Amino acid sequence: MLQRFLDPATLASISGLDLVAKTVVDGFIAGLHRSPDYGFSQEFAEYRAYTPGDDLRRIDWNVFARSERLYLKRYRGETNTQLLILLDASASMSFGSHAVNKLDYARFLAASLCYLAHAQRDAAGLIVFAEDVQNYVAPSARQGQLFRLLHAIEKAQPGIRTDFAKPFVHFLDFTRRRGLVVVISDYYERPETIVKTVEPLRFRGNEVILFHVLDPQEIAPQFREPVLLTDMETSGTLEVSPEYARGEYRHRIDSHIQALRDQAKGAGLDYFLMDTGRPLDEGLREYLGVRQGRM
Amino acid sequence: MGFLAPWALAGIAAVGLPVWLHLLRKHKTTPLPFASLMFFERRTQSSIKHRRLQYLLLLALRAAVIALLAFAFARPFLQSRLAALAGGPKLTVLAIDNSFSMRDDDRLARAKREAAQVASTLRDQDKLEVLAFGSQVHVMGDSPAAIQTIEPTDTRSSYAELSRALRSIAQTGAQAARMPVEAHLFSDMQKSSLPANFADLRLGDGTRLVAHPVADRRAANFAVESVNAPRRVYGSGKARVEATIAGYGTEQAKRRVSLMLNGRELDSKTLDVPAGGRAVAEFLPADLPFGLNRGEIRIDSADNLPDDDRFYFSVERAEARRVLFVHEARNQRDALYFRTALEAAAESAYALDAVAVEQSANLDPHKYAFVVLSDVGTLPASFETALRDYVRAGGSLLVALGRESALRSRVPVFDEAVVEARYYGRDGALFQTAAWLDAGHPSIHNAQRWDDVKFYQAVRVNPGAARVAARLGDDTPLLLEKQVGEGRVLVFASTFDNISNDFPLHASFVPFIEHTANYLARQEEGPSNYLVGSYLELRQAKEQGAAVEVLDPKGARALTLDEATRAQNMPLAMAGFYDVKRPNGRHELVAVNADRHESDLDVISADTLALWQNTAQGQQNATAGGEAETPKPMEFWWYVLIAVLGLAVAESLLGNRHLTVDQAP
Repeated sequence: MLQRFLDPATLASISGLDLVAKTVVDGFIAGLHRSPDYGFSQEFAEYRAYTPGDDLRRIDWNVFARSERLYLKRYRGETNTQLLILLDASASMSFGSHAVNKLDYARFLAASLCYLAHAQRDAAGLIVFAEDVQNYVAPSARQGQLFRLLHAIEKAQPGIRTDFAKPFVHFLDFTRRRGLVVVISDYYERPETIVKTVEPLRFRGNEVILFHVLDPQEIAPQFREPVLLTDMETSGTLEVSPEYARGEYRHRIDSHIQALRDQAKGAGLDYFLMDTGRPLDEGLREYLGVRQGRM
Repeated sequence: MGFLAPWALAGIAAVGLPVWLHLLRKHKTTPLPFASLMFFERRTQSSIKHRRLQYLLLLALRAAVIALLAFAFARPFLQSRLAALAGGPKLTVLAIDNSFSMRDDDRLARAKREAAQVASTLRDQDKLEVLAFGSQVHVMGDSPAAIQTIEPTDTRSSYAELSRALRSIAQTGAQAARMPVEAHLFSDMQKSSLPANFADLRLGDGTRLVAHPVADRRAANFAVESVNAPRRVYGSGKARVEATIAGYGTEQAKRRVSLMLNGRELDSKTLDVPAGGRAVAEFLPADLPFGLNRGEIRIDSADNLPDDDRFYFSVERAEARRVLFVHEARNQRDALYFRTALEAAAESAYALDAVAVEQSANLDPHKYAFVVLSDVGTLPASFETALRDYVRAGGSLLVALGRESALRSRVPVFDEAVVEARYYGRDGALFQTAAWLDAGHPSIHNAQRWDDVKFYQAVRVNPGAARVAARLGDDTPLLLEKQVGEGRVLVFASTFDNISNDFPLHASFVPFIEHTANYLARQEEGPSNYLVGSYLELRQAKEQGAAVEVLDPKGARALTLDEATRAQNMPLAMAGFYDVKRPNGRHELVAVNADRHESDLDVISADTLALWQNTAQGQQNATAGGEAETPKPMEFWWYVLIAVLGLAVAESLLGNRHLTVDQAP
């Protein structure tokens, strides 16, 4: 496995999300995931000796003719998994303390996932939401789907604020098939509310993955003097001392992350913290490793 | 408080720097966008406010450091004496007028009462000095009890001189180093005691003057202002006594004036004294006894100041004083001219005994008022010795030099060398005239009247230690004087015989002989009467001589034995008669009176008094920044620097707590 940790700033310098996604994904192993069942796909997987009870239709008679032994021909089953990406484009996602803000990072991530799904020939869809649903690309595996997705991701602009409840009502309508649901957000909401909102997707048999995108400055603020902070969503201001940011705030944000992780785990959701200061492929690799380990 | 370098105070403007850093700069902070304030709480404001308060404390510390630094560089100082005026120890001077006029009514008692009141208000740390002043200033003590020791019988101070009292106060203040002086002046504030110029009343720096007038109005007073009487009457001559009676602030009144002689009233008159004016009474006492007489003029004034109602004078009736005139036997002319001049001028004061030098061997010069040696050659040794003793004991000698005396090598008794005899000739313009005269010499009354005197012959004498009173045109000393012992010797470098010069023919001859005779006989020495507080000269020479015996008006000896042999003069402390017996045997009666300036009891007006005090105060302020009188300013910039150091340490500690850079976790 080729290790290519790509700096987010480097990715930001690449024009076009397709190139970004390709650059990120090409370094990975070819498959995003495999079907848990061997089916009638055209892709050969292996031969296995016949055992009584096996379906006779899967016996490779050509092999029997040559070797007079019964072998079953096994193919990799073709998946019908559907990937739906929910991209938070609220105002808070436009915060960034370095070259790549959270929304850009989320775009890279979403584009990479779409590229992976396309390579897997999975049907992929996208919902961009903030206070309301901004854009929706219905999941599909048809030709040109990738470009539609990348275009929608490209067009995603910071909205005003995040409201999980309202867009998720629509999500339930959009997701009629079982599949993989990826929610990319900074989750500035109470963990219970988030999990409670997202949980119904899980109940419908979807695999739900929560990508928690945060800027390093949000995780561990570095203030040298008291600063006047403006909330990017509510426009409220607050004067914050370095001592508070160094102590109380970090305690609170850590508690929030931990609570979200715990409650997601409890609800059967996958949770991954994506620090925009870390390379995107590193985060993806970690995610894929977890996914493969689960399969 | 002041500043030695006030321009450094401009540095206080630098206080604006921390103000800008702390307040203005901080307020310009632009808001920082942040994703969400979800995890920040409103209560963090209190932390910021607390921080702001600490920043304000830091700001105050920094501003104080800068301001105090500028303050220290301005070199602040304190006028210690003026600063101490408020609460520090001070010297209080109580100056009480004890002059003659303070005996009127109860002025002195009132002054002492008021002084005691002031003394009772003093604090423990204050110092006190009590002065009594009149014509003299006396330090009475440094305790309140000293006030009561000032008695009206102390007659040493007759005339109050405010300027002298204030000078003494200023000196006392100068001695009280670094201590403010508060001077209280208790006086009847007579107009006559005020000097013509307020500048004479100048006080020292740091001295505050408080005047306590003890007389509110002018009191009427009669006084014997002056008495004009001859000191001596010779033979059967009559003494004419003229007394001036003055009324100060009085109405027109009749006053009885009496002439007392030796305690006995000889005559009396009633005078009409006009309102606030003067009247003169004249007495011609017929039976004036021989010897020294104690005269006194009295009036019945019935006022509160009786001491100026009498005036003392002394008058002496004496025989004509004898003068020994020694001459060469063959020369009678000089005695003739000298006697004629003496008798013409001095109204029988002198009787001339002309003696040929050959007959002088057994003469005793002590019984003569003075001795004249008129161009004598060789003196009998015994006479010369007696003459020398006579002069040393206080006698006087006049030596005229001519042809005979030019043969001697030295002038007798005068003991200076005879250089030569000079002959100028009578013809043409060969004679000499007196080219230079010392008008200050008692013998030369009017120098201009010597201009026409022709000198044909003169004897040149080495002046040595003698004083030259006149010189001829060729610089030959004409008149010389030398002190020998207690006596005096005059040398006239020519003769009195109308041969060596034509001096006896000129009008200036008689005054010359008269003044010289009075000078040698010490007839005119000293004033006719003295004021209380003045000094009587006891001897001329500084060398220790024979004792002088002085009895004061109470009959007590005024001098100790040591003073009697050493003292050059003595103060006349009280009014009355002083009996003086001089070493040369002469007996004098010295009349002493209180100063009549004190008789005018008119007081300084309130306006003038206020003006005077303001002048004194203004002078005090004006000299506050002076050089010589200004006390050394007490600088305290080093204390300010210590404060700056302390504040800087506090600023460092406080700043270190809050201004450190946050370390990355």
